[in-house]
Amino acid sequence: MSSGKSFAVLGLFDTPDALMGAIPQVGAKKLGALEAYTPYPLHGIDDALERRRSPLGGMVLVMGILGAITAFGFEYWISAIDYPIVTGGKAPSSWEAFVPIMFEVTVLFATFTAGLGMLLLLNKLPFFGHPVLSSDAIKAITRDRFALAIESEGEGFDTEAAKAALLAAGATQIEVLPEPDRGPFLTSDYILRVAGGIFAACVVAGLAMYGAVKLFPVLPPMSHMEDQPRLNAQKADPFFKDGFGMRMPVAGTVARGYLPLGVASQDEAASLVNPLPSSPQVLAAGKKIFHNRCELCHGALGNGVPTLTAAYGAKPANLQAQQFRDYPDGKIFWVITMGKNAMPSHAADLTETQRWEVVHYVRALQRAQNATDEDVKEAGAR
Amino acid sequence: MSSDAAIRTGAIPERLLEPPLTEGVVTPGSLDDQVLAFPDRRPPKQWYIGLAITLTALVIGFGFIGYTIATGIGVWGNNSPVFWAFDIINFVFWVGIGHAGTLISAILFLFRKRWRNAIARFAEAMTIFAVMCAGIFPLIHVGRPWLAFWLFPYPNQRGVWTNFRSPLLWDVFAVSTYFSVSLMFWFLGLVPDIASMRDRTTSKVRKTIYTVLSLGWRGAASHWQHYEKAYLLLAGLATGLVLSVHSVVSFDFATSVVPGWHMTIFPPYFVAGAIFAGFSMVVIVLVVVRETMQLKNLITMRHLDVMNKVILGMSCLMGYSYMMEGFTAWYSMNEYLHHTFMNIISGTYGWAGWLTISCNIFIPQLLWFKKCRTSYFWMIFVALAVTVGMWFERFVIIVISLHQDYLPSAWRIYKPTMVDFGVLLGSFGLFFTLVLLFARVLPVIATTEVKAILPGAQPSHHGDDHE
Repeated sequence: MSSGKSFAVLGLFDTPDALMGAIPQVGAKKLGALEAYTPYPLHGIDDALERRRSPLGGMVLVMGILGAITAFGFEYWISAIDYPIVTGGKAPSSWEAFVPIMFEVTVLFATFTAGLGMLLLLNKLPFFGHPVLSSDAIKAITRDRFALAIESEGEGFDTEAAKAALLAAGATQIEVLPEPDRGPFLTSDYILRVAGGIFAACVVAGLAMYGAVKLFPVLPPMSHMEDQPRLNAQKADPFFKDGFGMRMPVAGTVARGYLPLGVASQDEAASLVNPLPSSPQVLAAGKKIFHNRCELCHGALGNGVPTLTAAYGAKPANLQAQQFRDYPDGKIFWVITMGKNAMPSHAADLTETQRWEVVHYVRALQRAQNATDEDVKEAGAR
Repeated sequence: MSSDAAIRTGAIPERLLEPPLTEGVVTPGSLDDQVLAFPDRRPPKQWYIGLAITLTALVIGFGFIGYTIATGIGVWGNNSPVFWAFDIINFVFWVGIGHAGTLISAILFLFRKRWRNAIARFAEAMTIFAVMCAGIFPLIHVGRPWLAFWLFPYPNQRGVWTNFRSPLLWDVFAVSTYFSVSLMFWFLGLVPDIASMRDRTTSKVRKTIYTVLSLGWRGAASHWQHYEKAYLLLAGLATGLVLSVHSVVSFDFATSVVPGWHMTIFPPYFVAGAIFAGFSMVVIVLVVVRETMQLKNLITMRHLDVMNKVILGMSCLMGYSYMMEGFTAWYSMNEYLHHTFMNIISGTYGWAGWLTISCNIFIPQLLWFKKCRTSYFWMIFVALAVTVGMWFERFVIIVISLHQDYLPSAWRIYKPTMVDFGVLLGSFGLFFTLVLLFARVLPVIATTEVKAILPGAQPSHHGDDHE
């Protein structure tokens, strides 16, 4: 063991007090660098070994602030610049909603700095090749004993003097650790270098890709469906002389199913004839439409007494009045199509056929409410 | 002699001294022999029986999860207007369970409550397992779990970014951060303990595994210096985090306009509830661990007594929150809020409301009595009641608020299906399976931390006398 060069001399102590007592004694002899190995952290040992304060707090503070800035920048850029979508009536740049994620990312950055920074950067772990790990003393160190090591700082290391100094300070057991004969296979430096290399490669590749696409637009990395020559509705387009993307229809164009009625007023509409037969199907269809759209104001019987009248203070027409019973079909059709007084037009909601169906149903309502003996007989005959 | 005078003269009466944290003679060596020897021994018969039960639950539950994924979430009872039910109830429940671990390991660490050292490791492990259970539910509720990565903001060919104003996205960040931080905290605590296991095991395979996991930890004083600093910083960070996580979870509800959800009391109310439920779960597990793993001298009755006091305190906070809910409903003069509150104490789900109030407010009052705080029967009774009560509390908040809101035409009674219960069972199976496996392979007590607080563990001129 002592044939090779020694790395350190290790002395074991039974109690924390013995170790703390030995540190100044051995340190005064200046034989080499001092390091203590303990099963758990001892109060005050940092001062005894004259260690500087751990820089971890500062590292965590800086990385935490960086996390906050990163998160805020990312959220702001996405929500206000790249993809501005109004949610909940808030302006795209309203930052208050970004705070929770900002906080979480701050904690995340700070935590990984504290944990990995402590392990990889400050303590240089993982490190499987340290001589102490292969010593006999390590079993006692991670269990219940306290070790003080005088570590070689170069050529002038006097192993025998170090042994004597530790024994004099009260060590119960002495062990000389040889220099390790081979390098460790996985160290924190290696991990950091590989991780750093991967990170740098990603950054370089990303920037190179960005540059290539910007500088050589003939080489699109992928084609998006939205990037194609086309006219956009409601958007300007230089393709046409007037600069509009949309074209006006040719004058006189008529939409399918919307042939003009050919009448210009309600009186003229009196000449229109209901093209539908008064069949049960037509009446059923008219009844349904009447229920959905007319009944609310005109009442289920068409007598102008529905529940809404009182609420609105308006007076919808009483379709059972003599005036309306005398209306020709065409005039009723006209009112449904164009609206009258407070009544809105239903042309946009009901097709021409549907409007004529309603006319049939109104007629049926009027007849039912003013039935004569002949009507009753006719109904009985059926 | 009055207590003040006694302290001034230095003659501190025994009742004012902090009682010892361990029972009997415990030395660092005996601690290792007691705690770190488990993984080297064959586990007792009860362990196999427990594992058989939890694995059965796990397999059944994952069968139901597979059925859900293969068929679609229509197999659950959720339907308009109760679009959220068991999935979010279980999510909130499990995230809440996790909070006890972080509270014990981080907040009590900052408060220098040294009794935490013996139970911190187990509680932290439970945090991690509970968050894993919680994560299942949003994952399967998205319907296509293989696309769940869409939740994260990453540049994509769809040209779409996530909505940073949505509390659901805050949740994604909060819960994933919480999991990462808890895992880091737990692992850092484990490193020196695994190093101890590495140096005492005789099996070559185990030695290799422990060597890698301990990263070559050698207990150097220079390492401990940075380690302690890192642990302190992590405790500080985790403290802020644990308060934020359940607050963010409560934002899922509080930022909406649903009557019964839209209240400013929600964040503190949820955090208190989380700690409440989490401590109860820790008490249940600790009682089992203490009995079956012969750890009575390390996890003492005093630990359970203190834990039960925390449960009692949280129960009173919950009582206050419930009363505030009623007060808000009355004082706001908002008929919708009033209606929702009346639904809690009467109506179709009134039984759930009263079950919640009984389990969370009335039953824990038993813990005012020292006899109940130190009796297995009563503490388990209370802890089980709280676990049930806290699950139903989330049921009350979520289902009752949703099933009748502003539009009477959209009201509907919610009924869970067998699949809902099956997935819930599976999450319990997963949780307890992980707990059992953890107890089998890793040190259940943070030996390094307990060694540091044993009598005589610190140098005398720096040691225990100035804490």
